[in-house]
Amino acid sequence: GSRLLKGYRGGHVVIRFALGGCTNRPFFRIVAAHSKRARDGKYLEQLGCLDPLPNVYGEKVAGLNLERLRYWLGCGAQLSRPAEKLLGLAGFLPLHPMTVTGAERLRRRRAAPSAPSMDPEKG
Amino acid sequence: MAALGAWGTAAGPARLCRVARVLWGWRARRGLGQDAGAASEGKTAKPSFTDEAVQTLLYKMTGLNLQKVFRPVKMELKPPKYKLMTEAQLEEATRKAIEEAKEKLAMPPVLKEREPIDDVLAEDKFLEGTESAKYVFTDLSYSVPHRERFIVVRETNGVLRKATWEERDRMIQLFFPKEGRRIIPPVLFKDENLVTVFQQDRHEDVLNRCIAQFEPDSPDYIRVHHRTYDDIEKHSKYDLLRSTRHFGGMVWYLVNRKQADDLLIDMIQRDLLDDATSLITLYHMLHPECPSAKEAKEGNIQGVDLIKVFAKTESKKEGYIQLALQAYEEAMAASRAS
Repeated sequence: GSRLLKGYRGGHVVIRFALGGCTNRPFFRIVAAHSKRARDGKYLEQLGCLDPLPNVYGEKVAGLNLERLRYWLGCGAQLSRPAEKLLGLAGFLPLHPMTVTGAERLRRRRAAPSAPSMDPEKG
Repeated sequence: MAALGAWGTAAGPARLCRVARVLWGWRARRGLGQDAGAASEGKTAKPSFTDEAVQTLLYKMTGLNLQKVFRPVKMELKPPKYKLMTEAQLEEATRKAIEEAKEKLAMPPVLKEREPIDDVLAEDKFLEGTESAKYVFTDLSYSVPHRERFIVVRETNGVLRKATWEERDRMIQLFFPKEGRRIIPPVLFKDENLVTVFQQDRHEDVLNRCIAQFEPDSPDYIRVHHRTYDDIEKHSKYDLLRSTRHFGGMVWYLVNRKQADDLLIDMIQRDLLDDATSLITLYHMLHPECPSAKEAKEGNIQGVDLIKVFAKTESKKEGYIQLALQAYEEAMAASRAS
């Protein structure tokens, strides 16, 4: 059949990270795309970027086109979990609960080896 | 004057677009409020850089040396274009040249140093230790003016704060690059390197690059400009900036600090008596409580007498000014006699 206009059965718009860059040098583009598309494939619109490696000033640079992000969220786009966490860190959305849980787990893991004879924690 | 046909102003429009944009931004935002405030307070308010009267005086002093304004700027080589014109066409071309030169001489804004940003949006101390580096988030919405853009930093200790001015400038240059501006400010603008450049008499180039690189209210912009003006004043190299757009700013700086005596002497020696009188008028506008201003207002003195009054009461280099005036008058007498 014709490959010009791809139609999907089901699927929805997601805002997620598309990986680019070279070997040992990742670079994410924050992208609004159909969920059925390939991760790095054709997207609807690029909404920003994230450089996961720190620069000379020790900062990880991220750009977010908040105006268009608000548009797509208004259109009913879903967010992937890393995208939600990033927006939580940015302050656009409230902090993701897994960020908090992750922080606590990390702290516990760091504390545990130093004192293995601590009381067993519940749950 | 067939050389007039060979103006290379390719860099001009780009530069003046930028200056015009900066000026429009500053005049539209600040100028309206300030002028309205000054008008309502009356003459007792200190005149600011953007006042009509001040601007006219500074503009008159800048001079209009067409040869210097349109001197060849370093660009790609193009063979010169020659046009055959009648007298009338030549006058028309000169008139247009003068208008273009006026636009090129538009003075860059003089503003107070900006206050550092110190605003914390959220404190989430439990995030401490999760990240190894801080995140800088920039809002990339196209229609937002750069001054109002949201640029926030999530530090490693979990604090979400607004970015400092330097971080802001860096991020905006990264995502919305401007011609002539670098992300990391060039080493040229450090004090020790400025000295070297000043020894080569390249003050105008430094100031042009400074305007391209920094925002008008950033501390670096103000520091570089003040250093340049101080160096020019120390070595009396006023002619370097005459007929450029930086002359007004320099005069404003010197008159505010009451260091304009050397400039006055230089003007008299170059037979620019009108400029000298405008300089003293500006001085009186800025320091209305000084004795020479009061005398001038009472006696309603004009022209050369104004300079004499100023020399007697205010200046620290009275002798030099008197000498210069004497030399000027002798020269005038000699030229009238011959």
